[in-house]
Amino acid sequence: MESFSPLSAALGGSLIGLAAAVLWLGNGRIAGISGIFGQVLPPAGSTLWRVVFLVALVAGTFVTAQLFPGLAANGVRLVEAPAAWGVPTPIWLAIAGLLTGIGTRIGNGCTSGHGVCGLARLSRRSLVAVVVFFGVAIVTVAVTGVV
Amino acid sequence: MARLSYLATAGVSGALFGAGLYVSQMVDPLKVLRFIDFGAIPSGGWDPSLAFVIGPAILVMFIAVQIGKRRQAPVFDTSFHEPQAKTIDARLIGGAALFGIGWGMAGICPGPALSLIAFLPDNLWIFLVAMFAGSFAGSLLGTSGSKTTVTVQ
Repeated sequence: MESFSPLSAALGGSLIGLAAAVLWLGNGRIAGISGIFGQVLPPAGSTLWRVVFLVALVAGTFVTAQLFPGLAANGVRLVEAPAAWGVPTPIWLAIAGLLTGIGTRIGNGCTSGHGVCGLARLSRRSLVAVVVFFGVAIVTVAVTGVV
Repeated sequence: MARLSYLATAGVSGALFGAGLYVSQMVDPLKVLRFIDFGAIPSGGWDPSLAFVIGPAILVMFIAVQIGKRRQAPVFDTSFHEPQAKTIDARLIGGAALFGIGWGMAGICPGPALSLIAFLPDNLWIFLVAMFAGSFAGSLLGTSGSKTTVTVQ
């Protein structure tokens, strides 16, 4: 339990909520990341703000990491494929990425769009989506033994 | 100029979001997976930290939504782009299930996938390319609610 960190988690969560609040009250847009990057690809009429948002998201992470390096003191790396599955790690991650992209697009939202914004709007659709993706993720971790 | 304020608002929001993903450590896939690993609860190996992320995030956004209801429009646009879909359809559930598998395999949801660019860990580009390809494929299959109206800002 050496890694239990409820205070930084709550502070970070508040910042995420504030980010969603700024975008909603400022521009009337939902801060759903899968929706924002998904709609950067086709030539939609209002793409520029999405690009600005995404670049700022990476910059915000980068700058905060420079200011408070301790939170990532152990380094940040991706998982390796569980040995028992006999799948090379790049293939494992490619499958995970593909499912994340296709699932969030078809289901029209991810942890931020359905999880934060949808639940804050008391959306029944979002509640169902969150229960499903969180439940399936719990089962997946248990079945794959990835950690 | 209104247009510049609009883009600046998007930038401020994105930067706050990126900061929040780092401070909460949602950006760390192993931390995320140790939270999703409910099977480790009996052995005491479960890290419940990230349960404390979503509550404050929802609370702050909930207040913003209530403030928004008292206004005709957001500050820099003529209307709130409220999601219109109301029905719980197969795509919503199927899409969420597919995402759940991907999230459980790698511990990376779309926000952290992008903010991880700040760290450039090994193999990140593979995940990102696959995620974008999946998103594009999903848009061809059709999205839940299928309201996918042309968003004119």
